[in-house]
Amino acid sequence: MIALAFRDIRVRRGPREVLRVPVLNVAQGETIAVLGPNGAGKSTLLLAGALLLDLAAGDIALFGERALDGRSRLRQRRLTATVFQESALLDMSARRNIETALALHSVPRADRRGRADQWLSRLGVAHLANASPHTLSGGEAQRVALARAFAIQPRLLFLDEPFSSLDPGTRAELVGELRSLLADGSTAALFVTHDLSEAQLLADRVAVLLDGDLAQHDTVEVVWSRPASPAVAAFLGYALVEPTQLPAAVTEAASIPANAGTVAIRPTAVRLSIDRTEIGSAYRGDASIVAVQGAHGRGRLLLDLGEARIAAELPVEEIRSFKVGGIVKIEIDPGGLVSW
Amino acid sequence: MDLIVDAVAEAWRLLRTGDNDIYGITLRTAAITGTSTLVALLIGLPLGLGLALARFPGQRSFIALANAGTGTPPVVAGLLVSIMLWRSGPLGGLGLIYTPAAIVIAQALIAAPLIVAITAAAVMALPPALHLQIRAMGANQRQYLWLIAREARLPLLVAIMAGFGAVVSEVGASMMVGGTLAGETRVLTTAAVLEVSKGQFGSALALGFILLAFILVIAAALTIVQQRARRR
Repeated sequence: MIALAFRDIRVRRGPREVLRVPVLNVAQGETIAVLGPNGAGKSTLLLAGALLLDLAAGDIALFGERALDGRSRLRQRRLTATVFQESALLDMSARRNIETALALHSVPRADRRGRADQWLSRLGVAHLANASPHTLSGGEAQRVALARAFAIQPRLLFLDEPFSSLDPGTRAELVGELRSLLADGSTAALFVTHDLSEAQLLADRVAVLLDGDLAQHDTVEVVWSRPASPAVAAFLGYALVEPTQLPAAVTEAASIPANAGTVAIRPTAVRLSIDRTEIGSAYRGDASIVAVQGAHGRGRLLLDLGEARIAAELPVEEIRSFKVGGIVKIEIDPGGLVSW
Repeated sequence: MDLIVDAVAEAWRLLRTGDNDIYGITLRTAAITGTSTLVALLIGLPLGLGLALARFPGQRSFIALANAGTGTPPVVAGLLVSIMLWRSGPLGGLGLIYTPAAIVIAQALIAAPLIVAITAAAVMALPPALHLQIRAMGANQRQYLWLIAREARLPLLVAIMAGFGAVVSEVGASMMVGGTLAGETRVLTTAAVLEVSKGQFGSALALGFILLAFILVIAAALTIVQQRARRR
């Protein structure tokens, strides 16, 4: 069954059209990650799906029923729960936050406390039941927000970059917990993130939004290995070059068509050949280091390969020894090249 | 110096002996200002919420108007109500001029803009994500408004305090629309003015002390409520 269906939706903010999605479905029990750079329309898509903003055109259906205005909209919204980037806890204790959500869903008063405590315990924050939101750390507040969302037993969950403001350790823990919570398959989820690794861990499929348009929609593996366009590839961190800028041996090994206009090189396809690891048909050569970058535990070397600039991805702790201007030996796995 | 000493001694005597007139005036003041504040709250709270939450053309102008209204001179409010309620005025037939009801109307007119402006500012200061979150939690319109008002409860108590402070201390409008009819419309402020005009400084001072004590008691009560609300 389709939990959430977008059909030809368009959203305007003032005079500007900020989102256009022809077709996007989230199946029952499925998790879809919505990826895209800042301002791509990810949160707008989530708000539209959660029936929290009005469409300029198009239709949204929840569990086969078209979302309309008024009471039916409220009834449909009550099938869902949303966790935002800021935990947006109400100014009351953690337990009362959950009890209030349960009250809004007409859960009998006698059952509310038990259910609230059960979910606080499940998210590892039972000891904070009486704590005010002002005294909670970012991670604790997001755990309470997740407990509040799951306590109402939503059939459809919306997550808007819920971990983006957390430190890497807390983030990794919460991603893991969310993964196990979604594992029973009873809840469909639309998960907005700009972190590809979170999408890879949590999502069955990925929707890439670029500048308000649905640029690609497929499984994580397909999107990662065969980006639909140079723009999607660039967003995923591929280096974009013209075929003529690459050594002929590389384009030949990757069977790049003669009429290709653009070649994208996946950063993980570029390896430093310090350890002399053999890759079957890999190209080997020298490249000079243009920049050393790092974030979220991953490092990148920007490399100058004659006429083209490519990127290599390495663990951040390994990247510290490299200096701009240095020469490294590299191998390029032809399987990591895509052309258009 | 004798004037001050005599006035204080007279005030103390009146308070100690429990002068019936003074206690009657105090009770009437409590009833009238309490009603005025309540009426202003009933008008101001929904208007403030509406002004902050609804989206309509000219919204900013209305907010500016509400903000300007916080400076409404009591004399102007009194003048407007007098004209409306004057026997030959548009609402003269109601026979409300020089009654406690007229004072309530004038005082509510003074306090309501304060409550509207502070309520609107308090609600607009809430994080935008909170509005979305409450709706996302499945709140209907009534539940949404209740939770938003609850989130803004501390500044809303400030609005009540400001409204009460404005009505309990004003004298111009009350004098204009209620006069100072003994046993009917005489309140602490107008009675104090009357006593000063008669040179009865002791009585005026006693009334002043009671007015201050009255304000302190109400402010303390509201502060206790505010502190409790903050701890919740």
